[in-house]
Amino acid sequence: MTRLVEVPGQFDDRTFDAFAAAFAAAAAGGERMLFDAHAAEWASPYGLVGLLAAGQAARKNGSERPLLTAPTNPDVLSYWARAGFFQEAGELFEVHGKVPKIKPATASDVLLPVTPVRAAEDVHQVVSNIQQRASAILASELLLDPKATMGFAMALSESCQNIVEHAGTGGWVAVQSYHWRRKLARRVVVIAVADAGVGFRHSLEPTQAKRFGDRWGDGAALEAALINGVSRFRDPGRGQGLAGITRYLARWGGKISIRSGTARISVVPKWDDDVPLKEGLAPFPGAQVLLIIPEQGSGTT
Amino acid sequence: MICDIKMQAVLRESVGEYGDLVTRPTGRAVRERIERTIAAPEADPLIARMDFAGVGCLDYSCADEIVAKLLRDRVRFLLLVGLTDGHREAIEPVLQGHRLAVVIQRDDGTLDAIGEAAAGVALLRELVERRMARPTEGGAIALVAA
Repeated sequence: MTRLVEVPGQFDDRTFDAFAAAFAAAAAGGERMLFDAHAAEWASPYGLVGLLAAGQAARKNGSERPLLTAPTNPDVLSYWARAGFFQEAGELFEVHGKVPKIKPATASDVLLPVTPVRAAEDVHQVVSNIQQRASAILASELLLDPKATMGFAMALSESCQNIVEHAGTGGWVAVQSYHWRRKLARRVVVIAVADAGVGFRHSLEPTQAKRFGDRWGDGAALEAALINGVSRFRDPGRGQGLAGITRYLARWGGKISIRSGTARISVVPKWDDDVPLKEGLAPFPGAQVLLIIPEQGSGTT
Repeated sequence: MICDIKMQAVLRESVGEYGDLVTRPTGRAVRERIERTIAAPEADPLIARMDFAGVGCLDYSCADEIVAKLLRDRVRFLLLVGLTDGHREAIEPVLQGHRLAVVIQRDDGTLDAIGEAAAGVALLRELVERRMARPTEGGAIALVAA
């Protein structure tokens, strides 16, 4: 029997929890999964890398390669292809639907197509690829100081390294610039990183669980990592990456949000109405990181 | 007295074609190469002058692996030159986290310290006391031994 997991029509961090709930319900059966994206109208980079993480988890879970029905809307299909999604999805899913053969990252809004991150060399490649494209976008479209480009590359590097250092498996990163009409009515650059690895709680459990006692869980683990700068390594220099990302985003009125297991933690800027910590979500493996940097101007910082 | 290290060259020798100091494995490889250089019999490990000219992005992980660990375990004085604002952005919080400081050399040759404030003041004072630096007429501090 095949278990259906519906991909939300508007697939981003806001609808990801519904997707995770559908995934968790389907995974419980241990049967082959069918990810149905035929009606998808839009997906953010977070949605795309999250879907790949789901495919990764579904394969780990059990037996057969999960199925994926591609979007039927030609514009959506074309965008997913340009964003490099199908290049990665082909290895994880049995894809059904007519997938266009488009070279990823030919569009100006795709700053970095969906890119696998498995080792330090991948992080080097990502940082190297992003700098030239990002500096133009950050300065001309987001009105950020040109000096902010280096911090952006740093934030991207540290986000990707979380996969290499902690996930215990590979993951994906994607960076895109788009006009966020619904929320901000201005341009944003979004970095999305996702894996279906061990997640923050498992990674920190050996060193932190005792300290937190009964409070220990996905939320406490995220809090320890993002707010207290705790790392699974005892080396005193560890745990600075997330703190550095948070500092960078605070300077530019940006947002960081990390979902892992059953919790999501966010450092919420003024323009957003998200909650700082949400627990009791549907379980989803690994970690999904979202960084948003808005166009500068009144009301962002 | 001063061991000169060109970071761009060390980076190339360590990881090949990449121009950015990012990731811990890269930081470790670069640091180990520097450690071998300053441990050579002809080198004096008291001051290591690291030139960052030509280095693209430096992330926190690399700043910690290279700058903080060299200071903690290997050399008394690290003199950094060719730093961009982006490099400083990575190095300063890492040093503050370890309560360490390094000396930076400005384009005009004068020195300053970055990192933990008290450690920075102590470093500059020690350089003067050891006669490796001297106060300038303008009230700054400059290196004696170039």
